[in-house]
Amino acid sequence: MNIAFYILAAVTLLGAALAVSLRNLVHCLLALVLFFVGVAGHFFLLRADFLGAVQILIYIGAVAVLILFAIMLTRNVSGTEGGGNSLGGAWWFGAGITAALAALATAAVRRSSLAATLSSPVTEQGIVKTMGRLLVTDWVVPLEIMAVLLTAALIGAVVVALEEDRKS
Amino acid sequence: MSVPLGYYLTLGAVLFAIGLCGALTRKNAIAVLMSIEIMFNAAILNFVVFWHYLHNGALTGQVFALFAVAVAAAESAIGLALVIAVYRHYRSVNVDDMRTLKG
Amino acid sequence: MDAIFQLLQNSGAPMPEWLALALAILLPIVIVMGLFLTVFAFLTWVERKALGRIQNRRGPNRVGPVGLFQPVADGLKLLIKEDIVPGAADRVVHFLAPVLVVVPAFLVLTVVPVAKGFVPVDLNIGVLFALAVSTASVLAVFMAGWASRNKFSLLGAMRGVAQVVSYEVPMVLAAVVVLMAAGTLSSIGIVEAQRGWCGWFVCKPWGLVAFVIFQTCAMAEVARTPFDLPEAESEIVAGYHTEYSGFKFALFQMGEYVAAITMGGVTVTLFLGGYLGPGCDLPRIGWLVSAGWFFAKLGLVVVINIWARGTWPRVRVDQLLAFAWKVLLPLSLINIPAMALWYFLPNRLIGWIASAALLAVALVGLTRLNAGRAFEKRSYRFIS
Repeated sequence: MNIAFYILAAVTLLGAALAVSLRNLVHCLLALVLFFVGVAGHFFLLRADFLGAVQILIYIGAVAVLILFAIMLTRNVSGTEGGGNSLGGAWWFGAGITAALAALATAAVRRSSLAATLSSPVTEQGIVKTMGRLLVTDWVVPLEIMAVLLTAALIGAVVVALEEDRKS
Repeated sequence: MSVPLGYYLTLGAVLFAIGLCGALTRKNAIAVLMSIEIMFNAAILNFVVFWHYLHNGALTGQVFALFAVAVAAAESAIGLALVIAVYRHYRSVNVDDMRTLKG
Repeated sequence: MDAIFQLLQNSGAPMPEWLALALAILLPIVIVMGLFLTVFAFLTWVERKALGRIQNRRGPNRVGPVGLFQPVADGLKLLIKEDIVPGAADRVVHFLAPVLVVVPAFLVLTVVPVAKGFVPVDLNIGVLFALAVSTASVLAVFMAGWASRNKFSLLGAMRGVAQVVSYEVPMVLAAVVVLMAAGTLSSIGIVEAQRGWCGWFVCKPWGLVAFVIFQTCAMAEVARTPFDLPEAESEIVAGYHTEYSGFKFALFQMGEYVAAITMGGVTVTLFLGGYLGPGCDLPRIGWLVSAGWFFAKLGLVVVINIWARGTWPRVRVDQLLAFAWKVLLPLSLINIPAMALWYFLPNRLIGWIASAALLAVALVGLTRLNAGRAFEKRSYRFIS
């Protein structure tokens, strides 16, 4: 089943590479959606089914639409999408740093003894049930904090983006 | 699945590096936010990879990844709201134009 | 899919493993797509005839006996039409949008059990996968409206996105009640949990409310009348698919209609007992009988859809969103404790009565709260 990993890795890398380099913002967003699909595929391949479905639901269903709305609401009044070159000055500096980081991380991974671990077959059948039970017994405090955080973030986002045309 | 752990970790590292490159070099603020999303997803992928290979029956890695996804969604919502608010003020989303703190 | 793979491997035929794998993947895809495309074509004919009869006319009756070949004629016409792309449109996005509308519609079919033992993939997160993938079509709607560089298209797309996003929440909450009762996310598990006399979830008070909520939200998700404001012809010149012609337009219509059928299939699985029915456990032909039951129930749900389309007028966009957020969402939230009451009260009869009472109070209360002012009686004056 290795072919699935290589195909998905190629899709994910392609999506990420296009998302950081395309000129038109909406095309970047489409590449980002491709990247999200690739990551969801990886989650399904790693037998984290619930997380894969959550990835599709949240990222492609909500975050991508949010970014699309933001792109639409902040279009440049002159009409051109994002100006000429999409990269700022001294882009080679940023690219060089990240290439160095990637090389460093790859070397570190290759050097570690953990890197050759092969996966043990995941034999759990009731992962979702167990996760549900864990979420309300062991991890109930982070769950509640997460709910409060999401509510606060939502209210904060609405307040920040609200039109300030009430002259007080 | 007979892919060794190292392949997945390399994939995660390269994805993170690509996201970092985008965050450092792009001019448009929304493109920077998109690159930050790529970095988030690479980190969450790393969590799930480690869970798959080394979990010994515990589901902690998946639960953590779930919380990380929720936090990332909240962060992107607020980030985009901020970009919209800044656009309303500066009429531009070019990160080079947002240099001063004074409005 | 796994069953086909095992069958091919154990059959003893000299088949290399990759071929067995490829066949095991391709065969369910071909069967499901072929089956549901035929069902789609037949149902478009049924819809046009039924709408015609509701509107006191006959419907298509020229092409073939009683107009049965009308879908073929429609398909041919749309295929040979000229494909016009507006000059200022974003070509890549304009091309991809119809594809991205059709793909989620078919992708949900992988977890709908069509007959006993016949589901393409038995994911143990089946229902969550179906709900997640059906929400992915919202992006394609917005892409279609955006890429056309047309103000009407953009307006239709914004309304479409608002509608889909608003109706997702009560839909998921209505499905949650079923998941609480079945205890599993797998679609076959949910169908099997509805065995027994009066075992279908629609027979229970919370199940009935959840069925109505889910079907309403499913109709709104695929933008069918009375919720078809994003593509209404008399309102905004066909909305987000204004600038599409030829086969891309056909893909939009196909995507919307197949999504309606698919969500009908999910409704049947969740609430109406899927493929269960008397005779579905017979030793040799049980799968055929269960397929018959599934398609009969699916036909019932689609006929209800068509009936609603022919009977009710289109709702206004603010009425649409108010209905989702002020009526359906609180009702689906109250449905959850109602189900808990039904489940946990020691005496079953008290449980039924308690949950039915709670839901009735909630329904009456919500309609009272949202009623708005009553208009005073008009008086007419004739000027003669």
